[in-house]
Amino acid sequence: MLMQIAEPGESQIKEACRKRVVGIDLGTTNSLVAHVVDGTPTVITGGDATAGDDAALVPSIVHYGADGVVVGHRAAELAAEHPRDTIVSVKRFVGRGLRDLASQRALLPYELAPDDGRMVRFVVGAGDARREITPVEVSADILRAVAARATAAVGGAIEGVVITVPAYFDDAQRQATRDAGRLAGLEVLRLLAEPTAAALAYGLDRGSRGLYAVYDLGGGTFDVSILKLVDGVFEVRATGGDSALGGDDLDRAIAAHLLAEAGVTIDLAADTEAGAAAGAALAQRRLARRAVTAARAVKERLTDADEALFTLSLADGRAIERRVTRAELAALARPLLDRTGRACRRVLKDAELDAGELDGVILVGGSTRSPVVRAYVAELFGREPLCDLDPDQVVALGAAVQAEVLGGGEQQVVLLDVIPLSLGIEMMGGVVEKLIHRNSTIPCGASQTFTTYADNQTGFDIHVLQGERETVEGCRSLARFVLRGIPPAVAGMARAEITFMIDADGILRVTAREQVSGVEASIEVKPSYGLTDEEIEQMLLDSFDHAEDDLQRRNLQIERVEAERILAATRAAIDGDDGLLTDDVRAATEAAIVELRRLAAGDDHLAIRAGVEALDLASKPFAQARMNRVIEAAMRGRTVDDVDHSLAHVHPGDHDHDHDPDHDHAHEPPDGR
Amino acid sequence: MSGSYFELLGLPERFDLARPAIEAAYLDRTREVHPDRFATAAASERVAALQRSMQLNDAYQTLRQPVRRAEYLLNRHGVFIGDNERLDDAAFLMEILELREELAEARVAGKLDEVARLQAEMRRRHRGLLDALIPLFAAVEGDDAAGRADALPRVKRTLIELRYLARYLEECDAALDDEEA
Repeated sequence: MLMQIAEPGESQIKEACRKRVVGIDLGTTNSLVAHVVDGTPTVITGGDATAGDDAALVPSIVHYGADGVVVGHRAAELAAEHPRDTIVSVKRFVGRGLRDLASQRALLPYELAPDDGRMVRFVVGAGDARREITPVEVSADILRAVAARATAAVGGAIEGVVITVPAYFDDAQRQATRDAGRLAGLEVLRLLAEPTAAALAYGLDRGSRGLYAVYDLGGGTFDVSILKLVDGVFEVRATGGDSALGGDDLDRAIAAHLLAEAGVTIDLAADTEAGAAAGAALAQRRLARRAVTAARAVKERLTDADEALFTLSLADGRAIERRVTRAELAALARPLLDRTGRACRRVLKDAELDAGELDGVILVGGSTRSPVVRAYVAELFGREPLCDLDPDQVVALGAAVQAEVLGGGEQQVVLLDVIPLSLGIEMMGGVVEKLIHRNSTIPCGASQTFTTYADNQTGFDIHVLQGERETVEGCRSLARFVLRGIPPAVAGMARAEITFMIDADGILRVTAREQVSGVEASIEVKPSYGLTDEEIEQMLLDSFDHAEDDLQRRNLQIERVEAERILAATRAAIDGDDGLLTDDVRAATEAAIVELRRLAAGDDHLAIRAGVEALDLASKPFAQARMNRVIEAAMRGRTVDDVDHSLAHVHPGDHDHDHDPDHDHAHEPPDGR
Repeated sequence: MSGSYFELLGLPERFDLARPAIEAAYLDRTREVHPDRFATAAASERVAALQRSMQLNDAYQTLRQPVRRAEYLLNRHGVFIGDNERLDDAAFLMEILELREELAEARVAGKLDEVARLQAEMRRRHRGLLDALIPLFAAVEGDDAAGRADALPRVKRTLIELRYLARYLEECDAALDDEEA
């Protein structure tokens, strides 16, 4: 009897390529993790009810104690007693230097290491255990705890994560978040903007189409994005916000107001832990921490009540007891909310829309639970906002969906996100020339040619900046590098072409090339407030309790999995598109496949990686041909005449500065399809 | 593929295109080649998808805005506008200068409604010039060589005028923004 032996079908290959993935909302106040189960995004809860772990939210709090690192609810319990060694709201420090914090240092109970022009560092521990720790490491500790939770739920090691970031995070903050993921031993598939994630969860939930604004007020950051949802495409039209504005600021405003009213001053200037001052400093830090915590409790109670009692016992035995009304809260919140209002108006302008043209406003972030915030948003947009999905969970749910997409799952949605801030380089006279404007859809690139301004100039100083202002001082410095080795010539002869490339994470890569001589320099934009690769490697090594050969084994495992994935994907592509292979490409590809199989059986992870790269190189022409085929296949049956016909007699679209009456609204499908 | 932006999006090469059609052409294509669709593919395919997506984004950003679309078309006809190209038209320049002074006065005096009025007026004018580009481009795109030779410099002139108007509108925005801040 003849047995039919089936070739591995497409679905089996897809299954082989699929990764175990989760989405992580790394929040200022709380973090959570979600995954897709049978097509439905689901938040993963912890297992230990006694530690409060049964809940979905893991407080983004890390305690660095004598007995080790504690994260989450247990760390929260230690926060009041050990303010200096318990870091809360670390997200506000990510990718930031001391100078960035000048405006928000009030009531911060930390000891910060002296400014060395690099990222903020917290000083924790005492005596021999005293050490400096970066926000990247603190974030990594949170990610590790959250991922551990997911590992238990998913039933195996996590192979990829999508981590959400505020849409308004700049390049430095995104880099730092990515570094934190790496440091936690996670493969970061994508950094996803939080409002986009929320829209994804909402849009899929209701099969929506149309124009939506997402108002996302979290613990420490504010984002507003305008998205257009149509047929499985989530297109961000514009985004704006403030990466240092959130519920935390309201907590501190309440605390500061009530302390001032009671005539209490807190002196946190003594950033020392030495001698007799140490006790006093600790007392002050504890008071600051308790004051802010009490303020937050009052704020939260005012979500349901019209009045709440603020109580705070002071060092001298006195206590502050004060009724706070919702009206008072509203008054204290007003300046902060007005800042969100300005961002909202600007983003509407960038999207060339009036608030009335929106189909809905989505509320995201714990701070939007407050009726004060809801009333403000309703007034601002002239409509009641949508809040039927849990504002604390919606971001993680969206991240899980995107993780599923990137992990090779069934979900067929495409997110078109934008960069929040313009990118440019410094010109003579301290002026910034923008190469890529804010709200450009990513991935994207741009290049521009510059000439020398002095005779015999042999280098170009390239200073990369991000921001909207025209001058260097008004923008954030991302990196500096020099293109050297230019042959001496009269001014204006040498020409440097500078190219910016932004990947789908919104992370920038800059290359510079002198066109006459061909001298080239490139940089993954990092230094200013980032960590170097070497630092991360070192931190990774330090964080592994195991010896170096464990790391070797781990690397080998990673490369083998990758090799298998690539082999399966290439085989599937060849089987599916055989006709596109020319004989020489086929020969080269098959040879590279054989070689990679051989290498993958060995135990040299660098050799395997080289084999993967060789296969990629060999199959490159094939990949290009397939890409053309994909588009042709999608467009088949539609002729230029169809397009032409649909275009006839229509006004030429939009204006740069005006609203367009012809601007299509998502309710009616474009061009009549 | 290194065709024109119009070829990339499968659109006819002309100025008079509706935004919905451009959007639809872009979305149809970008949906198919977005890097996310190739996340688990071989690196060569990921790179190919990334490059194609970037090209599509580039094409879309350029073609969706009429001014940029017009400048792109003009370049395709071998006519370029320099960064600091000025208009040799004293009357026009004088008029813009006066309008700017009016705006500056309104701004200093904090007369927001006056700024808004000037802005609305300038927007109308901006739109009018864009409309004027339609017949000009019809001539550029037509078969009559003489008509084309006549229309191209007029397109260029209109686009330079539009730059002045755009700068003015930016100043209006800035004036309204400082009230916000």
